[in-house]
Amino acid sequence: MIRPIRATLLAACLLAPLAVRAQTLEIATDQSPVGLDPHIATAFSTALIDSAIYEGLTAIDAGLRVVPALAASWTVSADGKVYVFKLRDGANFHNGRAMVPADIEANIARVRDPKTGSPFASRFTSITKVETGADTVTITLEQPQAAFLGQLAGLAIVAPEAVAELGRKPVGTGPFKLVSWIPDTAITLERHTGYWEPGLPKLAAVKFNIVPDAATRQIGVASGTYRMLPSLDAATATALAGAPGVTLLQAQDLAYSVLGLNVTKAPFDKPEVREAFNMAIDRAQLVQAAYFGRGVPGGPLSPALTSWALPVSDFPCYKPNAEGAKKKLAEAGVTLPLKVTLNVLGSLPIVVDVAQVVQAQLNKAGFAVTLNVQEQGKFIADWRASNFEGFVSLNGGSPDPDDYFGRTFQTGGATNVFKYSNPEIDQLLNDGRVETNTAKRKAIYDKAQRILACTGPAMALAYGTLFTAVRDDVAGFTPLATRSLRSLRETSIGK
Amino acid sequence: MRNPLLSIGAALVLLLAVCAATATWIAPYDPNGQDILARLSGPSAAHWLGTDNFGRDVASRILAGLRVLFAVSSVSVLAALLLGGTIGIVAAWRGGWTERVAMRLMDVFFAFPIILLAIGVVAVLGPGVIGTAIAIGVVYTPIFARSLRAPARLLLASDYVEAARATGAGTRRILLRHLLPNLAPVILVQASLSLSTAMLVEASLSFLGLGTQPPTASLGRMLAESRAFMALSPWPALFSGLAILVAAFGFNLLGDGLQDRLDPRLRGRS
Amino acid sequence: MIRAALARLAELAVVALGVSVLVFLMIHLIPGDAAQVMLGADDVGAAQVAALRERLGLDRPLPVQFARWLWRAVQGDFGASIWTGRPVIDEIAGRAGITAELTALALGLALLLSVPAGCVMAAMRSSVSDYAVRIVSIVGVTMPSFWLGAMLLVLATTLLPGVAVIGYVPFDDDPWGHLQRLALPALALSLPVLAALSRILRAAMIDSLGQDYVRTARAKGVAEWRVVAVHALRNALIPFVTSAGIMAGYLFGGSVVLEQVFAIPGLGRLMVGAIAERNYPLVQAAILLATLAFVGVNLLVDLLYLAIDPRARRGSAA
Repeated sequence: MIRPIRATLLAACLLAPLAVRAQTLEIATDQSPVGLDPHIATAFSTALIDSAIYEGLTAIDAGLRVVPALAASWTVSADGKVYVFKLRDGANFHNGRAMVPADIEANIARVRDPKTGSPFASRFTSITKVETGADTVTITLEQPQAAFLGQLAGLAIVAPEAVAELGRKPVGTGPFKLVSWIPDTAITLERHTGYWEPGLPKLAAVKFNIVPDAATRQIGVASGTYRMLPSLDAATATALAGAPGVTLLQAQDLAYSVLGLNVTKAPFDKPEVREAFNMAIDRAQLVQAAYFGRGVPGGPLSPALTSWALPVSDFPCYKPNAEGAKKKLAEAGVTLPLKVTLNVLGSLPIVVDVAQVVQAQLNKAGFAVTLNVQEQGKFIADWRASNFEGFVSLNGGSPDPDDYFGRTFQTGGATNVFKYSNPEIDQLLNDGRVETNTAKRKAIYDKAQRILACTGPAMALAYGTLFTAVRDDVAGFTPLATRSLRSLRETSIGK
Repeated sequence: MRNPLLSIGAALVLLLAVCAATATWIAPYDPNGQDILARLSGPSAAHWLGTDNFGRDVASRILAGLRVLFAVSSVSVLAALLLGGTIGIVAAWRGGWTERVAMRLMDVFFAFPIILLAIGVVAVLGPGVIGTAIAIGVVYTPIFARSLRAPARLLLASDYVEAARATGAGTRRILLRHLLPNLAPVILVQASLSLSTAMLVEASLSFLGLGTQPPTASLGRMLAESRAFMALSPWPALFSGLAILVAAFGFNLLGDGLQDRLDPRLRGRS
Repeated sequence: MIRAALARLAELAVVALGVSVLVFLMIHLIPGDAAQVMLGADDVGAAQVAALRERLGLDRPLPVQFARWLWRAVQGDFGASIWTGRPVIDEIAGRAGITAELTALALGLALLLSVPAGCVMAAMRSSVSDYAVRIVSIVGVTMPSFWLGAMLLVLATTLLPGVAVIGYVPFDDDPWGHLQRLALPALALSLPVLAALSRILRAAMIDSLGQDYVRTARAKGVAEWRVVAVHALRNALIPFVTSAGIMAGYLFGGSVVLEQVFAIPGLGRLMVGAIAERNYPLVQAAILLATLAFVGVNLLVDLLYLAIDPRARRGSAA
């Protein structure tokens, strides 16, 4: 009597994990998230996983347009200062509680609270008033803020009662909720049954395997151990092209490789010297060499921002001209070769590759470049303290020019580690921020781009194509330029 | 020749050392010279060992990498020998509390798993050639202290040194005439075996991305980076790994042969 | 004997304290702290970094931080991981088992194969085989295990496409898949140890085959296989066992790198990751425990040696 029961139990035990696994999407990613509190940690690795756990009032779609998410709809007053959001029906937090307008108010308050230490605080400083209705939230701004709707997409809505332990026990409204987190190993999310959109998400679970070694990730997806590798660099994508059973999905990356200079250190304070850097760099060759041809040379704004970015042909200094660069340096009174040490963010292989190509190019044009490849923690510490002559890194972009330009190039901007200060740029950015006429706004940012491209403190080098490798049986996934995995909610396995 | 392996080891080490020393002259290309059009090509007449993902010549990079490998491991092992050896001999000489404290201190360092101690030291000093050399030096100091203390103790207690003392020989004389010459075999053997393993530690650190940093050629780093392109060209990964193996093998063979030749009592105990 | 053992234990405590101080100084000397790594390179002001630093308790002077840590550690509380908030002991326990299993598999494999290999090599003694054995064993010892692992990985995925050989699944979920994923790294890890052990055993066997008691046994007419397998082997195992302590350290070092190559969530990856993330309590506890385990194994081996070989007692009393 006992035997058949035991056999059934055994079979059930053996089959149960298999059944679950069949609907689990195994993802391999390179780095552990640095905590899952979306208001504090903004590293690529954290944002990636948070994008499946949390949602904002708005979201950014594949065309970089602002679309409704937790806000079903909204209206903007004629003067551009008052936004009324109607919240989604049936949106629930992972702890089972229904989301209410007061939660939005609490989230905005938390991000703005200096004690939270949120990097997003600066985006919401102009809010003067938040009022809640039955199912509406009214936000009043001090002055019009053209980028506001896009910035709200970056404000993940968390359950206010859970903020104390949010970093490790995230509670959001997104399509998936956290089940387990084994540091440096795997993070498992399962379907949020109370998700507001009927029929979504389709997957039972998503497992993020942390696999730091690029070659191992590559082998893992080629052999079917993993079903998805998000945010691949071009080198890995090239190696995977043509692997049987693997499809490469593409999006234009908002993030870009960049060479930044500290303008408080001579002779980098001279605009001619910064222009010489631009002339010495051959961006087309860089794209071939470091990105395997899978990317585009970039100006100050990502080409993904099709309505804003100027074509790079508009920037005369982008024409490779090693002799011209030497001449510029001589004009600036610099003795050749100009010695410069570049700190390099060592944790991202693409950055190290880009740095090596740029070094070779600069050395042919009157520079003597030393690369100082640094471990991530040290790089960030030096970067934050402006403790560098120059650096090579990968910067996350933004879907709106003001948000990015303001914090990066305005005098005293939060990430203006270059210590750049140009009254003309400051004025342009102030004008652009309050201008609501799109054509006039575009004209302002065109002018800013032209100035920043050639003599700005940061040389945007290239925007890579963002690849996502998926097994052929993965359906419904759309890669986004923001690196968000929002479309995991529509993803399924099996044809 | 009684032991052909010793000769083979010595020849191999000499050959590699000459290659490393003359790398700048004998390398067919600039190890950092990029040629994108020729990237990831296999062995050919133009590039004997093929090219890497930037089209750099693998043979030239391996030669340059050998140079770094030799420089880092010999500087660090020499430093460890001087520091660790001094600690070991002083401990044996003074005995008592000095010996206890010194050797327990060495135990603290020795107790660390080698690779973790090296990772920690590199993390403090920052990745790079100097950080790696210091890390390996720190790791090997207790090894020399330990391996020299015991024979030094035996020698100091021997009738031979007792006799020298009795005839009024000074510290300096005992040290230079009696102790060091007799310790030389142990030092030689331990140094060449340590060089062999130090090379593996350097390669491991570089493989983990903590050792020598780009664009300086490093065999471990080459191996780690070229693994990503193995589907496109397996040659850089294969050859850089082989180069590490051959270098470490040469020194180990040399140390092994020396051990046999100079100290038959130690035969067979690696 | 007991006095010697107690002295050793006391020394172990001193070493543990030394290691703690050293690790503490080391990780706090690393530039960039947890608050900075956590906030990343985004638009954060100095005030925000300071706020987070205060919340993590990183704003206090180092000696105070160390004293607090030590006081709690003595009571068995090693603190919580900065990143996940779980007790570091729980974090480590989950990972140490995996590394221990990988190490044990590799050591087991090496022991299993080195005993017959060592015996056969000792029995078939000639000058040619002498050299061959040496060369093969030195190649084995100097083979970088990460290179071997990487090559095995490529080979396996080419020959056996679709077979999962990387990552980790718990034994309870899928026993076969569990072993399948550990097979390659264990093999890569065991080869150098196999080479070293075979050689040590061979030398010891040759030594003991020349001893009087073996000659006596032979003279008594004991069968040759019994002479080799029982009489000679038993004595030859002594130096063999004592080298296991050194091997344990070696295996751990190799496993740190191989865990990276094969995406195995072991202790090595935990530590490398924790150093990069400046997860101070985790690094502190993990290195201390790994070191104690390592010292413990060596102590055990020493005591074993002390017990077996009375001659050693006089020499090692320092």
